[in-house]
Amino acid sequence: MPARIDPGPVYAMVRKAMGLDGAVSGPSGGDGPARSLYIHIPFCFHKCHYCDFYSIVDSRDRQKAFTARLVRELRALAPFSGGLPLETIFVGGGTPTLLAPGLWVELLAALDDAFDLSVIRSGIRAGRGEFTVECNPETATPELMGVLAGGGVNRVSIGAQSFDPAMLKVLERWHDPENVGRAVELAAAAGIDRRSVDLIYAIPGQTLQGWGRDLERAISLGVTHLSAYNLTYEPNTAMTMRLKQGEFAPTPEELEVEMFGLTRETLTSAGLDRYEVSNYAVPGHECAHNLAYWRQKQWIAAGPSASGHLAGHRYKIVARLGDYLQERDDGFAPLIEHEARDARRALAEIVMTGLRLREGLDAQAVLARADAIELGLGERGLGERIEREVQRWERVGYLLDDGGAGGGRRWSLTEAGVLFADGIASEFIARIG
Amino acid sequence: MQIRNFSIIAHIDHGKSTLADRLLQATHALSDREAREQFLDGMDLERERGITIKASAVTVKHIHNGEEFMMNFIDTPGHVDFGYEVSRALKACEGALLVVDASQGVEAQTVVNAYLAIAQDLEIIPVLNKIDLPGARPEEVAEELEQVLGFAAEECLAVSAKTGQGIPELLSAICDRLPPPRKPVTTKTRALIFDAVYDDYRGVVIYARVFDGRLKVGDKIRMMGLDRMHTITELGKYTPKQVKVKEVGPGETCYIVAAMKTLGDVRVGDTITLEQDPAEEALSGYEPPRQMVFCDFYPATSDKKGNDFEQLREAVEKLSLNDASFTFAPVHSEALGFGFRCGFLGLLHMDIVQERLEREGDVEVVQTAPTVSYKVDMRGKGGGIEEIEVHNPADLPDASTIVAIKEPVCRVEIMVPKQYIGDVMKICMDRRGIYRNQTYVSETREILTFEIPLAELMYDFYDKLKGMTAGYGTMDYEVIEFRTDTLVKVDILVNGEPVEALSLITHRDKAELRGRHLLVRLRQQIPRHQFEIPLQAAIGGKIIARETIKGFRKDVTAKCYGGDVTRKRKLLEKQKKGKDRMKSVGSVNIPQEAFMAVLDTGE
Ligand SMILES: Nc1nc2c(ncn2[C@@H]2O[C@H](COP(=O)(O)OP(=O)(O)OP(=O)(O)O)[C@@H](O)[C@H]2O)c(=O)[nH]1
Ligand code: SF4
Ligand SMILES: [Mg+2]
Repeated sequence: MPARIDPGPVYAMVRKAMGLDGAVSGPSGGDGPARSLYIHIPFCFHKCHYCDFYSIVDSRDRQKAFTARLVRELRALAPFSGGLPLETIFVGGGTPTLLAPGLWVELLAALDDAFDLSVIRSGIRAGRGEFTVECNPETATPELMGVLAGGGVNRVSIGAQSFDPAMLKVLERWHDPENVGRAVELAAAAGIDRRSVDLIYAIPGQTLQGWGRDLERAISLGVTHLSAYNLTYEPNTAMTMRLKQGEFAPTPEELEVEMFGLTRETLTSAGLDRYEVSNYAVPGHECAHNLAYWRQKQWIAAGPSASGHLAGHRYKIVARLGDYLQERDDGFAPLIEHEARDARRALAEIVMTGLRLREGLDAQAVLARADAIELGLGERGLGERIEREVQRWERVGYLLDDGGAGGGRRWSLTEAGVLFADGIASEFIARIG
Repeated sequence: MQIRNFSIIAHIDHGKSTLADRLLQATHALSDREAREQFLDGMDLERERGITIKASAVTVKHIHNGEEFMMNFIDTPGHVDFGYEVSRALKACEGALLVVDASQGVEAQTVVNAYLAIAQDLEIIPVLNKIDLPGARPEEVAEELEQVLGFAAEECLAVSAKTGQGIPELLSAICDRLPPPRKPVTTKTRALIFDAVYDDYRGVVIYARVFDGRLKVGDKIRMMGLDRMHTITELGKYTPKQVKVKEVGPGETCYIVAAMKTLGDVRVGDTITLEQDPAEEALSGYEPPRQMVFCDFYPATSDKKGNDFEQLREAVEKLSLNDASFTFAPVHSEALGFGFRCGFLGLLHMDIVQERLEREGDVEVVQTAPTVSYKVDMRGKGGGIEEIEVHNPADLPDASTIVAIKEPVCRVEIMVPKQYIGDVMKICMDRRGIYRNQTYVSETREILTFEIPLAELMYDFYDKLKGMTAGYGTMDYEVIEFRTDTLVKVDILVNGEPVEALSLITHRDKAELRGRHLLVRLRQQIPRHQFEIPLQAAIGGKIIARETIKGFRKDVTAKCYGGDVTRKRKLLEKQKKGKDRMKSVGSVNIPQEAFMAVLDTGE
């Protein structure tokens, strides 16, 4: 087991950097308090075979203890919002909707109490005021949807994965595809006006036509946001084991590329544009919380295995529920990973996630950071190296430098380039050093 | 006191340095305690590789028939690349010991070195060495010597440099058979500089052989060729320990220290005379060594602050103080950045310089594929024809101005057992060789003489020869002239962009094959990219070969949310590791090894 990190000193550094202790100066980098919150609920009924999230098969006897501990953690973390209204909340898992409605009531009340939810309560406007809960189609009930909506939840992300029972079987994902539509309706009925569906493609045995049907089914549900993930064989998952044992052949890359293309075509004609590698939305309905990640904004994290990003620090909370439940006087949960603020790392991350976005990178901001690194570390030519890399990918036709045509100068990957976002990012990272 | 000056010459590994050890021992120059094997091979690299790189001169005393003899002798390197060292040594001597391994017999360099000595009019004592070996066949080898070089069997001395057998007889023969130094022909001082080395403490140390007059500490000396003046601060001899002397006279060899800071202050082959009473005419010197093989050295790592080039520069400059026979000039290449184009006497020399740079200069270098030096006749501005030297395919002038390209051609002597003659003939012909003649050595062996372009010998000719003759074939070569042939420059385009560091000059008839092989090698060495990379070989814009490196179809992970950032970044960072050692050309990353792919002739 990796050594646990005492959260106290880490959060103290964050407080100081944010200026929460009243210190006026300090390397806050102008970040200010965090405006986003992520909460991880670790319970599932069953472990899906492709899943590498931290989740444990439901042990109801610990849900209560968990909720109580989570509430205490949230109270301890609330100061990092600086008393300002939260702009986005995302509750993921695991299966958040597996938490009993009564516990949800407790959790939502505690949130309302510890944080300022005024912006969220006034509804999603201009990418602010979004409160998402990940929702399993089997667990959606009118009662739960009512509780969520009452607590300010205004967006659900429903894990459909596929509408084809055979494909769900391959994934060892247990739900009835019919329930996806039902969940969407229940959410709508409860007044949750943003609904998103998650799908997976390139499942072993899936055909291009089969994938096309899944897309059409999802569109017919009237959702305004859709995430379409190419199946990934994560290390240490059952799916990867089965692949290694030769139980099935992986989908050929050519077909994966075709499926990616079909996704874009189908969804674009349905009015959903691609705004990130795997995310599509009716303009204005993009997931504001995820955009905050990709734009390298700050967020507070709570719950086992949740990762946070505050004042340039990146950290991860312990994953094991038993460890998480241990009490501490300060209310924080122990950490298992921590990376201190680092200008070069931050730049690498901005480039890495920014290239995945259709909006791309803010060139001026990237170059300004490069200048700051040069100044701080006495290094030469970082900005030029980045510019050269931009030109290089532009020549190949994978990157577009709009030269500031649309206002600020932006660097974004072309439709052809998106398929190589990792390779291109790693080249940039190699130049950043 | 009588004086004898001689060199020890032989084919590589026939035992020159070991014989020198025995001479030092037999003349009590070294006590048994001080002796170690190949004592004169002092450089680390010489000791590691077991070869001699620099000639060393020593002075010992020997009593023969009650008379005292001063013997000045020079152990020379055997490898062809250092043939220049041998010619220099011979100029300082009246005699030579031609050592032949009695189990191996006469080899290619035995012949070439013997010719060098004969051309200098030296008295030669053929020495059959290693007679202690069970496979030694001194009689047969003596016959070979007679066949090839015309020595009578009774002239040969049989010795073992290992056991010391025959050494006393050899010493007597040196005294009896080698001539004394010639009598001075003038009263004015004339000494020939036959070597120079750099010493961290004293600066340049000159090795000289006095022919006429005398040299004393405190003398103001003049280098006749360079027309420079210095004052002798130290004179001495290696016995092989350094021994200072006050004065040296005609026939002697010595070392001279005269406050010279760089090897540029002296020219080997120059004549030293006295400032007050100068000689009118210089002694006949040497042609300066000609660099025949060229390649570029670049820093292997690209330090972000640009220090690597400076470090390389320091290392190159320092090494050039010790080895005046390699040349260097700064170059810049699109692909590889700033570096040096260096010239060498041959491939082994190149190898040794690279190794010494890395070892003594503590820099890691990328080396480009070596090329020979070309002479190009080009139409000048006035319409006349101008000859330029080109050491780099990239420097070739525009094709339309080229009248002719001339390349160095060697005379190659190959000693080969009879049963392999057919195969050797074939490879020589394949390498554009012109057959000249064949010399009978013994029942079983012959010497084949060919003229072959140096470029064709460069890469793996020697290895191929060894391979096809079960290791028995040996060779030596000497550049005889520059000859015109239908040579063309092959450009290599990577993703449509010409990469000068990969271009090559080759014979028109071989261009396609070389081009195609190079592309195949590049295809194997350049990693797949996010896009398809066409590789092309072209002569003057016309594509003669083409290969393609397929691109990835995709390279993107589906999910990258808040918790994935760290792991993902670390993953991407890992991929960068190999990347800082690659050079980017246009949009393509080319690993350093690919720049050596040109070496592969693909036979
Ligand atoms: N058995 C035996 N081995 C010998 C004799 N002389 C030299 N050797 C061995 O032959 C090898 C080459 O000897 P060296 O003295 O280095 O030969 P060299 O001619 O100076 O070689 P280069 O300087 O590289 O041309 C060594 O392994 C010696 O020990 C000898 O008389 N008998
Ligand atoms: S995919 Fe979701 S539901 Fe399935 S095991 Fe993972 S967290 Fe639980
Ligand atoms: Mg030797």
